[in-house]
Amino acid sequence: MHFSQISSIALPTIQAYLDPGTGSIIIQVVIAVLVGGGIFLKTFWKKIFHKKPKSENMTTDPTSSDSSESDQPK
Amino acid sequence: MKDQILGASFRDPSGFLFSRAGTLYRQVNQAYRSDYDFLFSSGQYKRLTSSGLLVSHAETSVEPADPVTAYKVIQPELVPFISYPYEWSFSQFQDAALITLKIQKIALEFGMTLKDASAYNIQFMRGKPVLIDTLSFEIYKENKPWVAYRQFCQHFLAPLALMAYRDIRLSQLLRVFLDGIPLDLASRLLPSRARFNFGLLSNIFLHARAQKAYADKPGEKARVNIGMSKQALLALIESLEATVGRLKWDPSGTEWGNYYEVTNYSDAAFEQKKHLVSEWMERIRPGIAWDLGANTGVFSRLVSRAGGNVVSFDVDPAAVEQNYRQVRREKEKNVLPLICDLTNPSPSIGWNNQERRSFGDRGPADVVLALALIHHLAISNNVPISKLAEFFYEVGHWLVIEFVPKSDSQVHKLLKSREDIFPQYIQGDFEKIFQDKFTIHEAIKLVDSERYLYLMESRKVLSQ
Repeated sequence: MHFSQISSIALPTIQAYLDPGTGSIIIQVVIAVLVGGGIFLKTFWKKIFHKKPKSENMTTDPTSSDSSESDQPK
Repeated sequence: MKDQILGASFRDPSGFLFSRAGTLYRQVNQAYRSDYDFLFSSGQYKRLTSSGLLVSHAETSVEPADPVTAYKVIQPELVPFISYPYEWSFSQFQDAALITLKIQKIALEFGMTLKDASAYNIQFMRGKPVLIDTLSFEIYKENKPWVAYRQFCQHFLAPLALMAYRDIRLSQLLRVFLDGIPLDLASRLLPSRARFNFGLLSNIFLHARAQKAYADKPGEKARVNIGMSKQALLALIESLEATVGRLKWDPSGTEWGNYYEVTNYSDAAFEQKKHLVSEWMERIRPGIAWDLGANTGVFSRLVSRAGGNVVSFDVDPAAVEQNYRQVRREKEKNVLPLICDLTNPSPSIGWNNQERRSFGDRGPADVVLALALIHHLAISNNVPISKLAEFFYEVGHWLVIEFVPKSDSQVHKLLKSREDIFPQYIQGDFEKIFQDKFTIHEAIKLVDSERYLYLMESRKVLSQ
C-alpha cells in the first residue's frame, strides 16, 4: 500500500446525522486509518530492513488469515 | 392455503420469507431490484454459491405473497436445522464471524457490500457456515463506510471476546440481547487485559466510547462529513479478521470432556450399544435425528452413517466444541453439534416471540436419541417420568432411550448428595408410563450392566 493510498482514507463524502450509529461510523474510519497506517509502516519496515525473500511465493500478507482452516485443534 | 410470512423476516424492506403449502420461498421486492440484478450480473452470486459461502436458490414463477411490492420470488435451498448463535460452540461462532468477513471482502471485489452482518444470517449446512440471506448485499458506493460494522461488532466480536476472555457461557447473553451484545456492556464485562488487544481496544472499548459520545448529543441535526476509501474499508475488514482469528478458547476442565473414559460401561456393553443403535438406524433411516445429551457425538455419527442429518445437542460447551472440531477435521457433512440445556432449552424470542424459534418448535425429529440421559433429568432435575414421556412424545417420532436404574453406579453418585424422592424411577414404572405414549419395539439389556436400551415408536398418528 502506498502513502498516497493511505492519505485517501478519510474523505469528506457522506453525511450522517448524529445518532448512536454516528459513533460507529466515526470509530471505524479512525480504526481504518490506524490499521491502514500500520500496514503501510510494516511494509515500509520490511522493505528497508529485511533481506529480499528468495522467491516471490515466500512473501505473505501479515493481515490475511483464512481462519476457517487456521484453528485446527491441537 | 394461506401464505405464512416467517416471524424472523419483517425488518428488511428488500424482501421477506414466506411458506406456502410447506415450501419455503423468499419474495424479492421491487425496492431491491437493482441490487438483486447486480448480484447476478457482477458474477458475485455465482462466486459465492460455487464456493459454498452463500445458500443457492432457484427463481420460480409462483404467485408472490405480496404482488404489489414484488419483483421476484425465489426458492432457497433448505437448511436442515436452523440454529442460533447462543447455541453455537466457540469455534462455530468464530467460523461464522470469519465467513461473514470473507463474504464482505468478496462482495467488495465485485462492487457490493454487506448491509447486514447479523449472526442469525449464518447457518450451518454440510458441516460449514453459510450465509442464508441472499438479500444482504447492496451496491457499494465509493467512500461509504461499512454500514453493518456496528452490527458485526455486537453480533460477533463482542460475544467471541467475552467467551475467550471472560467465560464461555457468556454467549448466552445473546438470548437476552437479540441485536447482539451492547458494546458498553461488553466493555464492562471484559477484563482489563482485553484492552491490550488492539482489535478489542479499538473495536469494542473505544467503539463503545464513541457511541456514547455521539449518542449523548441532543438530537440536533448536526452533520458529520466523513468517508473512507475502499482500501481503508478492506484494511478494517482484514484487521477484524485478524482480531477474530486470534481469539482462542480451548475446552478444558469440563464436566463431560472425558465422559467416555469415566463411564462404568465395559467395552463390550459400549460396543453392544453402538451396534444396536446402528442396526436400529439402518432400520428406521431417519431424515433428521436429534441426539440429546450427545456429549462429543459418538452415537450421532452412527446415526449420520445411516444417511440422515443429526443435530447433536449437549449442555457442555466443551463437548460441543470438541464435537464441532471433529466435524471440521473430518469434513463431516451431516452432524450439527449445538449447545442445549434440556432443563431450559432455547425459548421463542424476539418480536411477538416469533423471531427466533424455540427448541421444540424446530421439531419434531424423526428419531430422538436419549442415551445415558434420563437419570440426569429425572434425578438431578427432579423431572417426573410422566413429564419425560410427554417431552419425548412432543419432540420425535422414534425414540432410542436408555434406562439407567438406581443400582447403576452413576445414579448412585447422583443420589449420594440428595434424598431419594423418586419412587417412580424404577424400570417397571418407566415402561408402564412410556407405553401410554409409545409402542416399545425393543428392550435389550446391555451386557455387564443393569442398563436397558429401548426402541420405541410414538403412538401419535403421523400427518402426511
